[in-house]
Amino acid sequence: MQTFAVHPFKAPKNAAEIRSELRAFLAANQPNDDPVRRANCWTTFDPQFSKALGKAGYVGMLWPKEYGGHERSPLERYIVLEELLAAGAPVGAHWIADRQTGPLLLRYGTQEQREKYLPGMAAGETYACIGLSEPNSGSDLASVRTSARRTDDGWLINGQKVWTTGAHISHAMLALVRSEEGSERQQGLSQFLIDLDTPGVTVRPIMDMFGGQDFNEVFFEDVLIPHGALVGVQGEGWKQATAELALERSGPERYLSSHALLAELIDASGPDSPPEIVATIGRLVAEMWTLRQMSMSVAAKLASGEDPVVEAAVVKDLGNSFEQEMPLLVQAVVDADLADNTTLARLLSSLLQNSPSFSLRGGTREIIRGIIARGLGLR
Amino acid sequence: MSENRKALCEMADGLFADLRGADFAAAWPKLEEAGFGSLLVPEADGGFGGDWGDLAAIMRLAGMHALAAPLGEHIITTHVLSACGVEASGLVTIAPSQGAPVPWGRHADQIICAREGELHLVSGSAEHGESPVGEPRDSITYDWNAAKPLAYSADPIALIAFLRVCQTAGALDGALKLAIDYCSQRVQFGKPLSKFQAVQQSIALLAVEAAAVNCAAQGAADALDRGGPGHASELEIAAAKLRANIAIKTGSALAHQVHGAIGFTRDYPLHELTRRMMGWRSEGGNDTYWSQIIGMQAIGWGGAGLWHNLTQRTDS
Repeated sequence: MQTFAVHPFKAPKNAAEIRSELRAFLAANQPNDDPVRRANCWTTFDPQFSKALGKAGYVGMLWPKEYGGHERSPLERYIVLEELLAAGAPVGAHWIADRQTGPLLLRYGTQEQREKYLPGMAAGETYACIGLSEPNSGSDLASVRTSARRTDDGWLINGQKVWTTGAHISHAMLALVRSEEGSERQQGLSQFLIDLDTPGVTVRPIMDMFGGQDFNEVFFEDVLIPHGALVGVQGEGWKQATAELALERSGPERYLSSHALLAELIDASGPDSPPEIVATIGRLVAEMWTLRQMSMSVAAKLASGEDPVVEAAVVKDLGNSFEQEMPLLVQAVVDADLADNTTLARLLSSLLQNSPSFSLRGGTREIIRGIIARGLGLR
Repeated sequence: MSENRKALCEMADGLFADLRGADFAAAWPKLEEAGFGSLLVPEADGGFGGDWGDLAAIMRLAGMHALAAPLGEHIITTHVLSACGVEASGLVTIAPSQGAPVPWGRHADQIICAREGELHLVSGSAEHGESPVGEPRDSITYDWNAAKPLAYSADPIALIAFLRVCQTAGALDGALKLAIDYCSQRVQFGKPLSKFQAVQQSIALLAVEAAAVNCAAQGAADALDRGGPGHASELEIAAAKLRANIAIKTGSALAHQVHGAIGFTRDYPLHELTRRMMGWRSEGGNDTYWSQIIGMQAIGWGGAGLWHNLTQRTDS
């Protein structure tokens, strides 16, 4: 019995070089703004930073050069991602296009779609969002009802998506919709790449409980998109979207969302700090180190062409629990009032309020553990 | 990775399964005969020429099959003595520290123990003590007059910690397998327990904890293979042991919970795994011991320095 076969992560020969180049880039380009923006930084939108990152060759790293990519290796890209996240860089604007939408277009997209979107994505200028959830379709994704009807002029989209992260700053949405009238569940679904400036699309931000505006509801009223907006095979949307979810769940962002708080706690402590603070740091570092081993194993498996769907779920589940527990453990030992204007207090307050979302986004804890249970043969 | 690891693991898996439930007197001759002792001794010196990753793989299987013998201790001491050019005779075990109970001390001809930061090969007399599962953990009165200093730099607590992490990886996987098998067969409310979502979620979490320790064990073995015992691997072993202790707490509880009363019986094999793990949590450094060491190291590095150091260690 070994559910998580450890895959050796062979660091690229130029790993140290990649890190030092990226750290130099960050020293020159990372905005020195509100430190709270370093927490949960992969939902922090900063188009200017994304463009600088794209210009430096850190977006679309794996993609062919003909589409603006850089033809680097998956593990080189992994190193760049973990460096950006550990530094708390504001990578939210381009994150989804780089992680999911671009790779999906390379796998399933037409030549026309690749030429239209990929160069802008690789430049850190074209952003994408993922249209999955609907008002009546959350964890039960196969119940989506937003529809696409084929007409002579194109596809006509009607319906509503919700909880769509970044829709308000995105140029296009990759939406899972029902393209076959009367179809049920996983059948008759297709993926479409919908330009969000198309007439009939309304994006309305939903303020989260913390006061942030990351996610949105998106309405489609007789939205006419070209025939060429269909991505992949008509009716194969479920299979394609599921493959995409593996990419969504397998990255280092699933354990590093709270990393800024750990770094700040360490910086705010010293050799004379009370033993309970030292112990908390020790415990958090031990868990973070372990998650990094696990995350690297998933990355290595993905890089070798295998599909680490269960392993990715394991890392997401454990990572979410870790990054949620961190602010609570820190709060239990530090002498900080949440009204304080210190970086530590502000990061703590921010993450206490943001962290409940970590085990909801990208598949709830219950769905993720269901995937693990299926991998164990229990269902 | 040693090229021979697969064959080694197949051999160990079969042998350890056969030895399940065997006591020291029955198991040890078989283990000696199998020649595991020279695992970490270079081929040029007549050994197997394995690496720390091989040891991790073997100890994982030992943990999974609840092997009741000081195999890991013996492999490490044979390696240390060989590296020092000291002829080994009989069974040599290792003391985590001078005052700590010594695993299988009563069966050892000699013990490797640290005094003032230096390893020594030393004899002693054993006062019997037992781990929760009944394995010898003996209190030793050392005969320091006849102690032989060893020119090998290592912290015995970390070496024991490494062994226990690897054994925990296997024991948790073993407990997971028992949980899956039992819940798939046991019918309540007209269906197998494994079909209940609440049970599935508990077993999934057990699998997650087992996965964490398996990865931690591999990460610690990688560090040992990169830089050997000592400073180059202390952080990794510390982190792995602390993480294993956390996983034992969660994982053992879940394994027992999904088994119900049957898992609490002497006849059912779950306790062979969980009672061992209960003892391992306090061997080779408990949570406080390692969390203080890791915490002080991280504070010394600083917030950004922590990340820089962790990444530098795996880049090479």
